[in-house]
Amino acid sequence: MPYVEAKNLFAIFEHEATTSKISEDVLFYCTQRGLSQEEAVGLVLNGFVKDVLQQLPMEFAVEAQKLISIFLEGSVG
Amino acid sequence: MSWLEVKDLKVRVEDREILHGLTLTVNPGEVHAIMGPNGSGKSTLSHVIAGKPGYEVTDGQILFRGEDLLEMEPDERAAKGVFPAFQYPVEIPGVATMNFLRTALNAQRKARGESEFSKPDFLKKVREVAKSLNIPQDMLKRGVNAGFSGGEKKRNEILQMALFEPAVCILDEMDSGLDIDALRIAADGVNALRSPHRAMIVITHYQRLLNYIVPNVVHVMSKGRVVKSGDQQLALELETAGYAQFEDVA
Repeated sequence: MPYVEAKNLFAIFEHEATTSKISEDVLFYCTQRGLSQEEAVGLVLNGFVKDVLQQLPMEFAVEAQKLISIFLEGSVG
Repeated sequence: MSWLEVKDLKVRVEDREILHGLTLTVNPGEVHAIMGPNGSGKSTLSHVIAGKPGYEVTDGQILFRGEDLLEMEPDERAAKGVFPAFQYPVEIPGVATMNFLRTALNAQRKARGESEFSKPDFLKKVREVAKSLNIPQDMLKRGVNAGFSGGEKKRNEILQMALFEPAVCILDEMDSGLDIDALRIAADGVNALRSPHRAMIVITHYQRLLNYIVPNVVHVMSKGRVVKSGDQQLALELETAGYAQFEDVA
């Protein structure tokens, strides 16, 4: 989710996005310590985006958190 | 009843058989050392007990306190008391160690139908255990293993072992990458957890670790089997004679 703010009318913006999979080793480590697959994905993902979310304005942060939990529901078979 | 019974276990990884009929019985209160050269299947055994994907058991069985372990998911194994301390624990940046520990412990307790720890109760417990292992509070606030030194990672594994109070622990080469002081701290942590209600398997290349964690039984693995078992004397013999003598036995 790119977020850019410009004060220069003539600015040109570009953004890039990449996706990556949570490594199988990380998931295995978490499940081996007692977490279900779903709990493990949630924990790792929230840790991953935490730094970014914290810097967003409050209303965006709340929405983003909700989006993540919706996205997680049933995403692990 | 034995805490862990491995019977004639055959395991394949990507079409190659690594374990060719391994048998091992560990009783509560016992510490078993498994020694052997690289490629003898030591780590495969610990991965299969932990439930790591990618290992196909083609024959034999593993019983954990009489129950079929191979039927259980990794998180079920954890809740029932199987704890492997990994040789290379993964790093999970962004997830504070303290948060990870509490989430994991509570997931295990929930699975066993026990009450979950509140934040303050957990904090008290983890601080006590951390102190006994010489783990600074600061380490618990950092991401799980993120940027930890080799010694810190191993201590973090032992911290979890102490918190989760498992019935069976498998320590996979916990001496690798540790200097003498770090090794002593880690070994003291493990020794403090020896109990009549707990069984341990210590996997190592070197006899040195067994000076600190003295095992009841020593097994030598070669080419996917246990080829000799004995007491600590066996480990000392290996130190002088090496593993070559067992190459032909297997």
